Amino acid sequence: MSEATPEQAPTPPPDAPRPPASLAELFWGFTTIGARAFGGVLPWAHRVMVEERRWLAPADFAEVVALCQFLPGPNIGNASIVLGRRWFGLAGAATAFFGLMALPFIWVFALALLYADWAAHPVVRAVVTGVGIAGGGLFVGTALKLAKPLFSKPCGIGLAAATFGVIAIERVSLFAVLPVAALLAWFAARRNLL
Amino acid sequence: MILEIAFYFALLSIVSVGGIPSVMPEMQRIVVDVHGWMSAAEFTQLFAVAQAAPGPNVLVTALLGWKIAGFTGALVALAAFCGPAGALAWWAGGLWDRMRDAPWRKTVQRALVPVTVGFICAGGYVLATPAGLDWRSALIAAAGAALMVSTRLNPLWILAGGGLLGAALL
Repeated sequence: MSEATPEQAPTPPPDAPRPPASLAELFWGFTTIGARAFGGVLPWAHRVMVEERRWLAPADFAEVVALCQFLPGPNIGNASIVLGRRWFGLAGAATAFFGLMALPFIWVFALALLYADWAAHPVVRAVVTGVGIAGGGLFVGTALKLAKPLFSKPCGIGLAAATFGVIAIERVSLFAVLPVAALLAWFAARRNLL
Repeated sequence: MILEIAFYFALLSIVSVGGIPSVMPEMQRIVVDVHGWMSAAEFTQLFAVAQAAPGPNVLVTALLGWKIAGFTGALVALAAFCGPAGALAWWAGGLWDRMRDAPWRKTVQRALVPVTVGFICAGGYVLATPAGLDWRSALIAAAGAALMVSTRLNPLWILAGGGLLGAALL
């Protein structure tokens, strides 16, 4: 479908990313992200904003996601606020966030009510519990992917393992662990151990 | 109770670096261990429902609030969890656009990797062991993690496989 590009001319105008033209476009874009996001929002956010609607260049998308990954809160929820603000200020942030959440909110309750009717059934309960456990496995898989830059850094692996141990096994409160872990990580990063 | 929900979820919001997975252990500790608002099994099942529905997994907070205190609880839990973090994102988004190349930004980014990895792993562990550590749940979780890392399979298929294994084993 791409016509032969004669030169390596930097992105011709028709292909250049173009921010949403109106609040309505912003809302519907984020609605289509939320509504289809089976098994994780991030891949769908990329698909809609970079590939389908071309609001952002791939590098811009990666940068916003990196920012939102180290901010607290839901990653793509944060991204909707950061991008909505960039494009339309406060109205944009609110529009993007509610666009993202509206349909999934309805669907999750529809599913929960349906499940409440069937929860007494042992097979249904076993299936749902199995899904939840596999979901835990997805978390671990995601963590391993994020850990790639740490593989050559024993200090980073040690810190990650210690954080895991005190929270998951010792059940120490996150509020006690976060300040200590963040402080240790900050010093390690300053000394180029991370 | 509504106030307690608002308070705890707003606190969790501020420390949820890495999103819902990071605070999952603390959420479970408060909701199940400290207050006994539901059992560990119910917690995992609500999480499973939120995972199975399309959309951000932060909606599990709405389901937890709903289980504890009905529909008001759902709205309060979701708003309390998204509000403080959202305000921070608003502020940080502006700052980020102004301070593109500040060196401290790189240091913070590197420092947060191991901490986030530890948090998310702990979240996975807590969800995967609703009835304590046993070989069946360990098998389902390990298979899910392995597929997630080594293939580009849509996560939905991994969850479906977990459901099948659950029906067969649990």
